[in-house]
Amino acid sequence: MKILIVDDFSTMRRIIKNLLRDLGFNNTVEADDGLTALPILQAGGIDFLVTDWNMPGMQGIDLLKTVRADEKLSSLPVLMVTAETKREQIITAAQAGVNGYIVKPFTAATLKEKIDKIFERIEAQ
Amino acid sequence: MNPTNEAIQLDAARALVNALEAGDKTESASQLALLTQTQESDLFHQVGKLTRELHEALSNFNLDNRLADLTEKDMPNTRERLNYVIRTTEEAAHKTLSYIDKTLPLASELKQTAEKINASWHRFRMREMTADEFRSMSKEIESYLPEVTNHSDQIHANLSEMMLAQGFQDLTGQVISQVINLVEEVEDNLVRLIKVSGKPQEHKNKDKEKVDPIKAEGPQINQENNVNVVNNQDEVDDLLSSLGF
Repeated sequence: MKILIVDDFSTMRRIIKNLLRDLGFNNTVEADDGLTALPILQAGGIDFLVTDWNMPGMQGIDLLKTVRADEKLSSLPVLMVTAETKREQIITAAQAGVNGYIVKPFTAATLKEKIDKIFERIEAQ
Repeated sequence: MNPTNEAIQLDAARALVNALEAGDKTESASQLALLTQTQESDLFHQVGKLTRELHEALSNFNLDNRLADLTEKDMPNTRERLNYVIRTTEEAAHKTLSYIDKTLPLASELKQTAEKINASWHRFRMREMTADEFRSMSKEIESYLPEVTNHSDQIHANLSEMMLAQGFQDLTGQVISQVINLVEEVEDNLVRLIKVSGKPQEHKNKDKEKVDPIKAEGPQINQENNVNVVNNQDEVDDLLSSLGF
């Protein structure tokens, strides 16, 4: 299981990376915005995407839309971890096909719960 | 001076010299008038250009009410943002320090017991230990090993919490970036104000700002007072489940 973590703040990428390692996901790669994430995703081999919303270059919501519009990537599970808390934003992300939405600051338990839920749903399909 | 004017002036000057040499007073007077006229038209052209530039600068400035907006709306908002930064960094620092306070005694406890057992073990190896002492050391080791496991788990959990608390850097970093943008905007507007040295006038047809409902805004500073904003992960989950998630 290879996970791509996209956030413009290196501290947050490090936090998510460490939490994922605690959950048993040791294989992670990082990108600092949507534009740098896309070539990594398109190169293949990424099984799960964790992305922030507010980033320079390409924002997380646009990355999500691009992923869903890409034939090869459209079924990639996407978990959004963001400080964006407006209702319209959460609805837009849901409509764009996000698999989970976590608001910052978050807990390790929340991250585990959302990831478990995403995998449960994928397995049930 | 534009090239056309220059050519006209040169022709007029030649004609003037010719007319003067020929003693033609009427012709010399008319050529002299032509020379002055082109000179004036050039001056008028320059003044006109300057006037237009000044007018444009003033009207552009008046059109842009950002400075007033910045003072009335964005500055108080910035104060709240900076207070949010203070509050968030303070909370993160306290949280980290509290977990350090909880972790240090666990590490010391492990160390003290290990040192005690180590000393006993050394005496045992040197055959200086009585059978009673050996039994007591065995009991100590027996209770120490699970304690190592428990304490290590607790230390791991505390370190994870300390790590999570560092998320403040992302949250406050986003807010500080917004404040930097605002300061730059204020600076830009002040420079323009100094350039035109004019007083901003009340603009009647204030442009309605187009609001993008999903524009990324970073952490919400006053989320309790905003119905359009969720307050925690539970509310996110409720909203998503209402959408069939």
